[in-house]
Amino acid sequence: MSHAAEGTRVQKHIGDPVGGEPALPRAKLEEIFADIQSDLRFDHELNGCLNCGICTATCPAAHYYDFSPREIVQLLWTENLEGIYDAMQEKIWACAQCYTCAARCPFGNSPGGLIMLMRETAIKHQMKSAKDVLRPFSRVMLKLISTGNQLSPDMINKDHFADWGPNISKVEAPLKLLRKAIPMPTLNTTATAWEVNLKTSIELYTIWEMTGVLQQLEGIDENLFDVITDIMDEKREDWKDFLADEQNEQEADT
Amino acid sequence: MTERFTGHGSEWRDANLTPGEAKIATSWVELKVDKRSMLTNKDRVEDVRDIMWQLEKDGEIVVHRVAEEHEPLMVKTLYGWDKKIPTTRLWHHKSCGQCGNIPGYPASLLWLMNRMDIEYLDETDQTSCTAWNYHGSGIGNLESLAAVFLRNFHQAYVAAQAQGLPAGYYFPLVHCGTSFGNYKEVRSYLLHSAKLRERVRAILGKLGRLVDGKLLIPEEVVHYSEWLHVMRERIASMREIDCSGIRATIHPACHVYKMVPEDAIYDDGIMGGNRLANSTGLMQSLGAQVIDYSTWYDCCGFGFRHIISEREFTRSFAIDRKIRVAVEEAHADVMIGHDTGCITTLDKNQWIGKAAGKPVELAVLADCQFAALVCGAHPYKIVQSHWHASPTETLMEKLGIDWQAKKAEFVAYLEEIKSGKPENLYDPRRMVTSGPGFIPLKSLR
Repeated sequence: MSHAAEGTRVQKHIGDPVGGEPALPRAKLEEIFADIQSDLRFDHELNGCLNCGICTATCPAAHYYDFSPREIVQLLWTENLEGIYDAMQEKIWACAQCYTCAARCPFGNSPGGLIMLMRETAIKHQMKSAKDVLRPFSRVMLKLISTGNQLSPDMINKDHFADWGPNISKVEAPLKLLRKAIPMPTLNTTATAWEVNLKTSIELYTIWEMTGVLQQLEGIDENLFDVITDIMDEKREDWKDFLADEQNEQEADT
Repeated sequence: MTERFTGHGSEWRDANLTPGEAKIATSWVELKVDKRSMLTNKDRVEDVRDIMWQLEKDGEIVVHRVAEEHEPLMVKTLYGWDKKIPTTRLWHHKSCGQCGNIPGYPASLLWLMNRMDIEYLDETDQTSCTAWNYHGSGIGNLESLAAVFLRNFHQAYVAAQAQGLPAGYYFPLVHCGTSFGNYKEVRSYLLHSAKLRERVRAILGKLGRLVDGKLLIPEEVVHYSEWLHVMRERIASMREIDCSGIRATIHPACHVYKMVPEDAIYDDGIMGGNRLANSTGLMQSLGAQVIDYSTWYDCCGFGFRHIISEREFTRSFAIDRKIRVAVEEAHADVMIGHDTGCITTLDKNQWIGKAAGKPVELAVLADCQFAALVCGAHPYKIVQSHWHASPTETLMEKLGIDWQAKKAEFVAYLEEIKSGKPENLYDPRRMVTSGPGFIPLKSLR
């Protein structure tokens, strides 16, 4: 087979930047880019790029993945809409969010920060990549959104972290007892990292609702959304009961 | 010819340097890369506190000040700017990863504070910063991060009122490095953007968390490792165990000094001012040997998402770029960190190395855990070293601590608390400041 029939190496591995059908209609690609660009952080995180590559040279994810922060910055800087969309299918999830790139960039760009704008946009547009990538993250999201804690002692066990070896705890005892032996009373918990005040959780739910976080979640994982909103409803009932009891007590006192 | 996909184009050729030439080339790079100037040669640098004071003057915000009562000590940051570190009346803003996974981390910090009669509050009215989830998943946004920041810091401001004390009495001390970096970044955006302030003012108003109808912004965002840094000589004066034989490597946390780098502490007397001062200064004051190593700048491999669902990356990076280098190059006895995710990653991901033919082992502790240990804290009751997977026992042996005897004491203590009350670092009645379980001040007295 001739070289021409095979296409160029760039076409084979990356796609033809000028020919062929775009992955999405142009209007949709523009909408995705507009969402990234409209974030007030965009102009702060992107100031220019000379392709020096210092960001990629220092990037931990670039050691292990087909990922380059320089490429991400270039795609955004040159407004390469198809390239941006393509990067959102997998590459943006490789970033380890260490911000080494941002600390080093002579232009003051933050490739890591730009990645976050792209991840948020991937979620907003309910991209399959976001759904696939975030499926194993659902335990953390459930914990965080319903309790205000991202990690809890009962999540750290040998079933979930087999590669951590046998020393999850070097003292064999029930988790509840080991937690009781921590000399900070706020930490005598197993289902949350610390005891969270009921009022605190209720306030957090208001934040989730007013900032569109629950909508984000619903678009990515409807089942998880249902579970979380059930928990929120229950806790809100508990809070109402507490307030009613408190009022009754005050009335009884007077 | 085998095609190589180098990404450099067909004209690229291997340099084929001799080992001597490679060493010269590497040394040149290290001379540049290892310097603080790598972070400081930027055109666009501003101190957002200038905007903060102007906004307060304009009546837009209220600033929660680091007051005289907080007995602040001054430090210099990356560009030589001043930063005020409060040393007492502290509101502990806990870390979900530390509390859930490495509880000896906050316990050691509070134990040190008790030894120095530092006033503090550890309460239940606080959430995580939510930034671990945000950086890992993209669920969340600038508004939600800002609202969580302002809610938690407002609670720090008013918390003392539950004890009959004035607002502003306590100043927040942030335990987690990611919370610290995230809060500083969010504070900067809040100060820059009237639109963001307007949006979150509506949320904070609904929560009843405005001060005189205005947003409350902290004068400084302070990390616990900064508190340790300014208290290092006082801590060193309490040292009971000689640690001069210990070779320590420091893992500086990315979100502590690469996010909002201009606010990180540097001291010309500590590693020539070319490394973050936090932790290094403390270890030197305690008398340990701090050993530099070539990959000090690398992250730990935590990755936020990767530690959950891409663990091959996390453990490979932790072993190859950090632990193995610290062991083989620096001949370290311990790696010291000052952030939640780093300690977890570096501590937990060594065991699996055996399966990959990389059996390297190194004790991993947070700076405050090491400090507490050499100041005489119980290795299990306070430092809670049983939650560490790395070989902390080897380190303890080198420090002359009979860990087996201490462990036996702890196991006996567990039997005692099955039926009795555990020993606590503070009165548990103070930990609830409102809502269910709140005990009013009169009852406390």
